[in-house]
Amino acid sequence: MKTIEQRLDEHLITVEPYYLASGNEVEIALSAHKNKLPLLLKGPTGCGKTRFMQYLAWKLRRPLITVSCHDDLSTSDLVGRYLIRSGEAVWIDGPLTLAVRAGAICYLDEIVEARKDTTVVIHPLADDRRELPVEKLGELLTAPPEFMISVSYNPGYQSVLKDLKPSTRQRFVAISFDYPHPDQEAMIVCKEGGVEKELADSLVKLAGMTRSLKESGLAEGASTRLLIQAGKLIQDGIDIQTACRVAVIEPLSDDPELLAALQEMVSSIF
Amino acid sequence: MKLAALSERFYSLVSPDIPNEWDVEEVMEPFIEESDKVCEVILGHIPVIWPVSHSLCYDFLRQAPEALTHLSLEQLPRWAGVILDIYENEGLHSAQRFMQDVVKNHISKLEGSGGLALTSVEKRLLPYIRGIAREELQVVSARETYTDTATIYVPEELRLFQDNDKNFLLYKLIFTYQWGYIACGSFLHTAPEGLPLFSDKEDCLWLREFLNSFAHPPLARDIYHLLESIRVKFFLHKELPGLMRAVSKLLFPLHSPVATEGTAGVFLSRIQQGLTGDETTLHSLLRLHLTPSECQRYLDGKATAQDSARLVPKLYSTLEETDHDYIPVPPLPFQGHLKLKAVETARKVRKEKMGEHFVDLMATYLLSLSPEKLENILKDEERDSGNTGLAESDISMIMDSEFAQTAAQEKAAPLLVTINNEALELPPELDTFTRKFLDEFGQLPARFITSAAGKAGEGMLQGDIGGQEEDARQITGTVIYDEWDYRRQGYRKNWCSLQCKELPPVHSPFIRNTLDKYHGLTLRLRHQFEMMRSQERFVKRQREGDDIDFDALVESLSDTRAGLPSSDRLFIRLKRDERDIAVLFLVDMSNSTAGWVNIALKESLVLMTEAMEVLGDRYAIYGFSGMRRSRCELFHVKHLTEPYGEQVKERISSISPSEYTRMGPPIRHATRLLQEVDAKVRLIITLTDGKPEDYDDYKGDYAIEDTRHALLEAKVAGIHPFCITIDHQAHEYMEHMYGPANYIFVDNVRKLPLRMPEIYRALTS
Repeated sequence: MKTIEQRLDEHLITVEPYYLASGNEVEIALSAHKNKLPLLLKGPTGCGKTRFMQYLAWKLRRPLITVSCHDDLSTSDLVGRYLIRSGEAVWIDGPLTLAVRAGAICYLDEIVEARKDTTVVIHPLADDRRELPVEKLGELLTAPPEFMISVSYNPGYQSVLKDLKPSTRQRFVAISFDYPHPDQEAMIVCKEGGVEKELADSLVKLAGMTRSLKESGLAEGASTRLLIQAGKLIQDGIDIQTACRVAVIEPLSDDPELLAALQEMVSSIF
Repeated sequence: MKLAALSERFYSLVSPDIPNEWDVEEVMEPFIEESDKVCEVILGHIPVIWPVSHSLCYDFLRQAPEALTHLSLEQLPRWAGVILDIYENEGLHSAQRFMQDVVKNHISKLEGSGGLALTSVEKRLLPYIRGIAREELQVVSARETYTDTATIYVPEELRLFQDNDKNFLLYKLIFTYQWGYIACGSFLHTAPEGLPLFSDKEDCLWLREFLNSFAHPPLARDIYHLLESIRVKFFLHKELPGLMRAVSKLLFPLHSPVATEGTAGVFLSRIQQGLTGDETTLHSLLRLHLTPSECQRYLDGKATAQDSARLVPKLYSTLEETDHDYIPVPPLPFQGHLKLKAVETARKVRKEKMGEHFVDLMATYLLSLSPEKLENILKDEERDSGNTGLAESDISMIMDSEFAQTAAQEKAAPLLVTINNEALELPPELDTFTRKFLDEFGQLPARFITSAAGKAGEGMLQGDIGGQEEDARQITGTVIYDEWDYRRQGYRKNWCSLQCKELPPVHSPFIRNTLDKYHGLTLRLRHQFEMMRSQERFVKRQREGDDIDFDALVESLSDTRAGLPSSDRLFIRLKRDERDIAVLFLVDMSNSTAGWVNIALKESLVLMTEAMEVLGDRYAIYGFSGMRRSRCELFHVKHLTEPYGEQVKERISSISPSEYTRMGPPIRHATRLLQEVDAKVRLIITLTDGKPEDYDDYKGDYAIEDTRHALLEAKVAGIHPFCITIDHQAHEYMEHMYGPANYIFVDNVRKLPLRMPEIYRALTS
């Protein structure tokens, strides 16, 4: 069985992740960490929230423990549970407990997807108490100063049913993310997708066009992530039109007419 | 058939209308020579077309015998269907035009030799152009291609090329090129440096006045238009190289220079040809009249609309000298026309629209100020002008940015509005909007601020007296729906107007009395429904779970000790049985429910809501009635998310018999409402006492088929329709409308309150 140190080592980011700041978000996050404040990141899909967390963890030299939330996520999944190992009941820390013990950064991605009763466990951790009660062990863990909790969600597509409770919301320092400025976005696509500047510019132009189709029934436009993926395919020899279709257009919608319209954009740009 | 027999048949088909005898005889006369079968087929269309338009029906009858020389009897219904579609989309004249030439307009399309219609590409190209333009451009069919900056007008059909793929590409190019003029800022509204100012009226388009100031405005206009077309061409080459590459393969049928005698015409039409060709041709043509550096600016894509405007007088003077009788050169299909009057109007509309929005935002902001501050602003107003509206001299807008040194400072500086010496710093949303307005229109007219102040004043007044007594059944919105015509196997477009209304709450002891009356039943229902509520329960012996199942563990350990294979099902899991149901009750409020039926319906609703509150399912209640297609009514009793309170109770009490039962529109509206709801199971439960029926021709098969179709639409949208009826004859038509297992017949009205919760329980568990 792995020791805690071994498990944590896996979460330590040693190589600097590529992140291009679009404002003062890095300073804010560093200051929040210094002041032991939790962080709430909001923004559309694929605009760089997770990458930002990786960058922050690297910068702070703390392990980053990411939990992707879903509606079946239980409190035990976060805190820990007993498992049977060779005939004995053994306690295994959940990701949240692990992060608290080690003073790591715990990042709950898409927190609104988790049930509300589950998200309540982070409440005492996310205010000035910074405590995590582990009921089954009868322990009350106090987070060390290095520990940080951070959550993210996408305000764009969630229904009213999946909104954050005000009591959860009002504990965080909130940073709003959006797609980067076209020039910056092109730089990111260049760097990450490994394509020429000119092609990156065109990809960003395409993304911009898709993002203005909200009224025409497209819930969300193409994300930076999709552009990078398209760039990678192109870099690998897939022709531009095909790469844009499979990596940018098709993931956006299933509506045949909208797809056709998006395809027309691709054929016009490239 | 004899004329008398034909007329009689006609009257029976259009009853209860009694049209003029001479009209009827005139259209019926040609039918005397036709065979009975032909007469029957043609006259069979009368019930479909007559209610849509009497004139259309007469025209159809006049044209049909002639059309049958080209069409077979089987093809006639399709032809009629197309006529109705055209009538509904474009009006009588278009439908008449269509009918006049069966071969050209109908048969050629059936055979696939026609051109490409806008309707068939619109769904694809509209989102395309909106994406490209990044704004909500509209597209409308028109005789000529042009844009007024808000809408792109394009021909309803393209048949320039034999191949429709090429016609499609041309449509795409037209859309894109017209947007190009907007994106390149071709429609100058302020004078470029060095050119004369005309009127200083704020809404006049400078460019229009400029081009009109020449002796031959068409020549000046065409010069400017061509220069701008060159600019757009290079702009598109840069922005959308893919499109321009594809387009370069199109061979446009060339116009022979129309004005062969005039050099201006020849020159302009040559440049026009250059638009579809390569750069070198354009270059050599431009060099004839422009300096090399001017020429280069265009070819490098660096020229601006201001440059084009400045070049107009120069080119105009050289070309005019050689050509006194300029005959305008017809533009290329994608170029379209330059309609500056339309641009001016669209700009005015946009300004007013943005102004209205500004007034709303500003009024809301003013109302959010402290009462003293607001009063201060408004008090002065009364003293100074004595009526609503501030004196415009009392208002000034200061952009702090005027004092800013750099662009960045300018952006960051707040906007200040001063009303009656009260300086107000605009909140972010209003600030952004105001900047957008200023960018586009230069200055913000003071009248917008006065009307915002006036509106805020009214708002304050209303807050003081607590609102006016509202109209008893206030209309809260009107929605238009299509209606299914089974005879036509198609929709009657925009046929029904559904008015959403509020039921006035009524204070009455009805609810209390009902609850007393069914006291025992209510308790039992509550208990039954409680059992159905979402439950959390532990399931034992799971492979994974939240906790250890110690019983299973002990068993497993002892099994191991005993040398038996042990089970790996050692966990307890918390399982949730969630009810994720949204239901919408549609209550028939037709006249026939008067008396006992209405009381029973209301009592059922009361018991139902009591039970639903225990259960926690989301539910909405609406009543429906109305008269004729122009006034279908939907009464709001309870929205889906509205809590069950006094207001809802009072509205249930006020449900009363009204008029007729046109079921299609309320079902379609309910479908639309439920489509927006995120729930695993979505239900529409209709409570009714009889067949769908309205005052007009919404009767019999027509009504049943439309209702059936509305229910099918609901099913397609993933909503389950269900009906509870007390009509004894229900079996005849209910099964056809709802499907065999989707309705229930309650034989005794008085049992309905008891049966309804039971039915709901059975339905959802």
